Amino acid sequence: MSNGQTEFKLPADLSRLLQVLVALGAVVFVAGLLLAPERIWPSLLLVSYFVLCLGLGGVVFIAFHYVTGATWGIALRRVPEAMSTLIPVGAIGLLAVFIFHPSIYSWTSAVHAPVEAAWFKHFWLTRPFFVVRAMIYLLLWLSMAAAFVRNSYRQDQDRNPVHTRRNERLAAIFLAVFGLTFWLASYDWIMSLEPEWYSTIFGIYHFAGLFASGVAAIIIFAVALKKLGPLEGVLSESHLHDVGKLLFAFSTFWAYIWFSQYMLIWYTDIPEEARYYVARMHGNWGPLFLLNFMMNWALPFLALLPRVTKRTPGLLVKVAVLVLLGRWLDLYLMISPPLMGTKPFFGAWEFGLMLGAVGLCGLVVFRALRRAAPVPLGDPWLTDSLQHHQ
Amino acid sequence: MSRRLLLGVFDNEHDILGATQAARESGYKIVDVYAPYAVHGLDHAMGLASSHLPRVCFALGLSGAAFKVWFEYWTTATDWPINVGGKPFNSLPAFVPVTFEVMVLFAGVSTVIAFLYVCGLFPGKKANIVRHDVSDHRFVLVLEQSDAAFDIPRVKRLLESFHVAQIEERLEEETAR
Repeated sequence: MSNGQTEFKLPADLSRLLQVLVALGAVVFVAGLLLAPERIWPSLLLVSYFVLCLGLGGVVFIAFHYVTGATWGIALRRVPEAMSTLIPVGAIGLLAVFIFHPSIYSWTSAVHAPVEAAWFKHFWLTRPFFVVRAMIYLLLWLSMAAAFVRNSYRQDQDRNPVHTRRNERLAAIFLAVFGLTFWLASYDWIMSLEPEWYSTIFGIYHFAGLFASGVAAIIIFAVALKKLGPLEGVLSESHLHDVGKLLFAFSTFWAYIWFSQYMLIWYTDIPEEARYYVARMHGNWGPLFLLNFMMNWALPFLALLPRVTKRTPGLLVKVAVLVLLGRWLDLYLMISPPLMGTKPFFGAWEFGLMLGAVGLCGLVVFRALRRAAPVPLGDPWLTDSLQHHQ
Repeated sequence: MSRRLLLGVFDNEHDILGATQAARESGYKIVDVYAPYAVHGLDHAMGLASSHLPRVCFALGLSGAAFKVWFEYWTTATDWPINVGGKPFNSLPAFVPVTFEVMVLFAGVSTVIAFLYVCGLFPGKKANIVRHDVSDHRFVLVLEQSDAAFDIPRVKRLLESFHVAQIEERLEEETAR
């Protein structure tokens, strides 16, 4: 801490476990390229997008704090700052899919519906434009995330409140830019898997999932850091209570948007829209569809209602893990049905990359956490945050 | 039955918190604490148990939702079936938004009513104000002189260690709650 770095040791077995998971994921990926490319690419798309969204969730958390002037979260801000290093990790995986396996998107090859009315779609969904757009989104997010973290690290050294003001301005700009680009990105990368289907609420739906899963990951890493030492005596029950409330709120926000999309499509029952749900609610997909609702909202909602769940690290982490698994299932249900047909498959190709992503997230975030002091030492509101209680 | 009370009047939040905590730890019976605004941590210092209002809120919200689902089923599918866009009469997704609203209404209103009931508040209730300056700048700790073991000089010493501004003994009127 004297040289502005956090010193903590991952327990040897945890560190080895994470490395084994990464190796396992890499082996499964290479084997999948040779044996089952039709399964491994969608699986890579899923985990890359998942990891990217965790990183973005961290940045949104930081931006919310600066924009609203909330001080309670400053004591644990190093966690979302470290999580922002997941953005490049996810970006590499996504670009690999876009560049090496574009055929995952049926619009790249199939000669579908040459309708005059769909001229805009034909213009929008062309390969070069698609990849350029993806680059623009990713570069914007990466540069802004890096700026947040750089200002915060510099403030550790010079204790100058001007960095806070800079980040406040940046946060306002970021949220506007992010709202627009992430909305488009979710359309590009996920919704265009079924190019004839559309839902105008899709971007908000994705934002809800992104932030709920981001908060869940913040909870897990913060509690881990408390156990490992750096946040011991810093992260109080009151801080946990507040992130727990955020998880509760955004899990419920997810359910609200999930149902809004479903209800409007169910009500109007237009074939080109309803087919999305027909494919997902029948046959073997049906139980997963219900499970998704249980894991992302019904169970976390009931579990987080009592005050004690939000203030007990062990319980809160369990709910956070449930929400992250639910997020995976939510994305699986968006990505897989058009590619897998009437039957869901879950095997080594999906599970292997899932484990690999867990290991990689752990290694990357813990490494990033070592780069600076465990709390933002120069933040003018740090004392306020350390004394936070409710 | 009347009670003999001892009032300690304090000038700031910090002292009232400390005095309340100390009085409770010494085993004195705290009747109530009055403050001009909500003081953080006072419930802890007084040793108050956590409120049952969340449970009332949950139970009534659930009942409201259940009632509304039944009511919508009864109106649209049983008593006066209406064909809306060829949907089945009993269409759960269509019931959800209104069910949600009624749940919020039941939970919200019933929690307020339960809160007023627990506090013994009702329209026309005569205000029971311990001292007029608690609505302005003073903090008052009210202890009950419960038994012979209540040694007034000792209590006074304890309160003085928290800079008590004024100490007052009072006989509670029979009418006061």
